[in-house]
Amino acid sequence: MDALVNKRIKEVLKGDQNAFAEIVELYQDKLYRVCFRMLGNKHEAEDIAQEAFVRAFINIHTFDTKRKFSTWLYRIGTNLCIDRIRKKKPDYYLDAEVSGTEGLNMYSQIAASEELPEDQVMKMEMQDRVQYEISRLPDKYRAVIVLKYMEDLPLQEISEILEMPLGTVKTRIHRGREALRKQLSNM
Amino acid sequence: MNKCPEQIVHYMHEYLDGDISGEHEQELKTHLASCPSCQQHMHELSKVAAFVQSASHISAPNGFVEGVTARLPKETSKVGMKR
Repeated sequence: MDALVNKRIKEVLKGDQNAFAEIVELYQDKLYRVCFRMLGNKHEAEDIAQEAFVRAFINIHTFDTKRKFSTWLYRIGTNLCIDRIRKKKPDYYLDAEVSGTEGLNMYSQIAASEELPEDQVMKMEMQDRVQYEISRLPDKYRAVIVLKYMEDLPLQEISEILEMPLGTVKTRIHRGREALRKQLSNM
Repeated sequence: MNKCPEQIVHYMHEYLDGDISGEHEQELKTHLASCPSCQQHMHELSKVAAFVQSASHISAPNGFVEGVTARLPKETSKVGMKR
């Protein structure tokens, strides 16, 4: 895949925007998924993932084609997600439109810090439950858990994406995993 | 759990990360064989991975690529264009 991507990048550098659309096509699911898991909201995930591609396009001349494109792209995406999480007000979603938005329910609208009554948590669909538990993780553990378990990335690559030492990545995965274990102990 | 060596939980995480030395793995296995509470801890940690991975099938929404294209800066499509 990297050879094809590098070919497309050369075309983009020559000014061919259609070549960039092909790159987006290839990576849209991966990047959207990470953003959705980090942010817990479909509209925000789409917005941030698209913004990440726009920034990749604008900065494509800085990408070193000897490296892995997905690592670079994930870095842009996770940085934008972390910025968004930090800026987010606690009541950001409370008046957001829910009706008529396919697949959206009240749980995907719950801000990270809010606690739900236990019986409501138990009734959740698996997908929503996973998202809910991940959104309760402290920010700094969320990114590593998402990249490690949802994208199945090697620790070394996570270290490159998040620009932190390998040892820090390991510590955060350990703590994130312990935190999830405690959250799930009632299942 | 009080009498368990402190490093055992650390070894559990190393094991789950596929990042454990033969020596640590041996020590972990020997301990788990004789300690039900650490077995339980290990079991719960393994469940976390299965739980998180059970929700990894998500695709970008329809029209995602077009959405990106619409947001790209227009003039960069013509290299060297000057006004």
